[in-house]
Amino acid sequence: MIELRQVGLKYGEREILKNVSLTIKDNTIKAILGPSGVGKSTILKLMLGLIKPNNGQIIVDGTDITNMKETSLYAIRRKMGMVFQGNALFDSMTISQNLGFFLRENMKLPEEEISRRVTEQIQFAGLDGYEEQLPESLSGGMRRRVAIGRAMIFKPHMILFDEPTAGLDPVSSKKILSLISSLRNNNNLGAVIVTHIIDDVFNVADSVAVLYKGEIIFDDVTEKLHDATHPFIRSILSDKILEL
Amino acid sequence: MKNQRSPAAAMAFTRALQEKLLLKMKVFFFTMQEFFWFSIRAFVAIPKAKQYWRDVLDQAKICGADSLPIVLVSAVSIGALLAIEVGNLLEDFGAKTMLGRSTALSVIRELGPLLMGLMLSARFGSRNGAELGAMQISEQIDALRAFGTDPVAKLVTPRLVAALIMFLPLTAFSDFAGLQSAAYMAEHYHRLDPGIFWNAVYPRLVAKDFVVGFLKAPVFAIIITLVSSFNGFSARGGTSGVGRSTIKGIVVSSGLVLIANFYVSKIVLENM
Repeated sequence: MIELRQVGLKYGEREILKNVSLTIKDNTIKAILGPSGVGKSTILKLMLGLIKPNNGQIIVDGTDITNMKETSLYAIRRKMGMVFQGNALFDSMTISQNLGFFLRENMKLPEEEISRRVTEQIQFAGLDGYEEQLPESLSGGMRRRVAIGRAMIFKPHMILFDEPTAGLDPVSSKKILSLISSLRNNNNLGAVIVTHIIDDVFNVADSVAVLYKGEIIFDDVTEKLHDATHPFIRSILSDKILEL
Repeated sequence: MKNQRSPAAAMAFTRALQEKLLLKMKVFFFTMQEFFWFSIRAFVAIPKAKQYWRDVLDQAKICGADSLPIVLVSAVSIGALLAIEVGNLLEDFGAKTMLGRSTALSVIRELGPLLMGLMLSARFGSRNGAELGAMQISEQIDALRAFGTDPVAKLVTPRLVAALIMFLPLTAFSDFAGLQSAAYMAEHYHRLDPGIFWNAVYPRLVAKDFVVGFLKAPVFAIIITLVSSFNGFSARGGTSGVGRSTIKGIVVSSGLVLIANFYVSKIVLENM
């Protein structure tokens, strides 16, 4: 479980997050919805300890990681997998090297076990036959699936997705969303999805938090979003895709 | 009315200038602080270089073997030019036989290492800045951290170790090529017997001359690697941000190489 308690963050004079509180339970999919540039991706980075908040607390599985040192955070981070918006695959490595890289780096596993896990993720992502390709030779949807496979390589409890369908065609988007659903249904994984596409929320999320001007203005089960009265939520329900 | 308003405007202008200067100073000191800790992290991670020996080898090839041609070209051209100009000057004093001595000192103590440093600042430093900057903006460095790998140990320390190892032989090659081209010009331009040239070089070189020259290699390796890598890690704002950080890395490291060149020479020559 991940908890954000009264988290605030400023960049210089600009206040990005104002007393944000969120709870993400295991085995559930939580969406964080909001317009571009509102600080949604920042929330994911805070959950991983990649950036520190100015105030508030971040609790991961009961451990306060707010002021934890970088080296102590590595073990915590392995409980979560992260799928970056641009995938962040290593472009000089093949797909199988990308998938196996962090296992070789951080776990003292025998090479057979690493190969087994890499093969497992390649099959899960439906990328058989592409093992030796470089990321640049794959389509956007395929690269996203490699990034999801890489996020699952440590067998985490939770996967954090930064705009999982942004920039993808409708068919690839559908595949990615069904992959995310299958993580919860078949692998008992929880997920946090940061998105500005409201259809994604209704397709996969169990609950949704709406971030607007640095504040959470709605946090409840997805179905209740239709009942929300906040003018911003009313406007996004009619527009479907959020733009500033 | 105009006279009444101008002192207030001047005060506002001064205050705005002060605030701007204060902000710039703050940014400078914060950057220096960050650079200090970044450098410490790179050095502390040196024992981990064993784990990344493949990266060390890759970087050694890039800053060593791949940089050799440009280092040799610059050393040959400066050696030849030095021989022509110094030879002309010495001829006026009837001291052309001292050409070997004066060229050797200039090349081994100063120009060999300095040119190598500047060339590597442009070649190795720009590559570091651009590569790490691109990794930064495409979130690959964040990905390393997110999956529990220290990006400084993985990306910076292998570059630092490789540079520390390779800059020494590169300095030797640079010195050798510079002296050979000077000897060639002495023989064919100034019609100086090679025996006279080399006799003025070898027996008169002392340990101090080599210490001055070769001590610069690790100093330049540290400056170029850390400054360019730090700028790559600090890249922000898309592809133009990568360009800016790369240029900044080259300019700052080249400037520091020139300053370090002076101080290493001064300190060693005064104390040996």
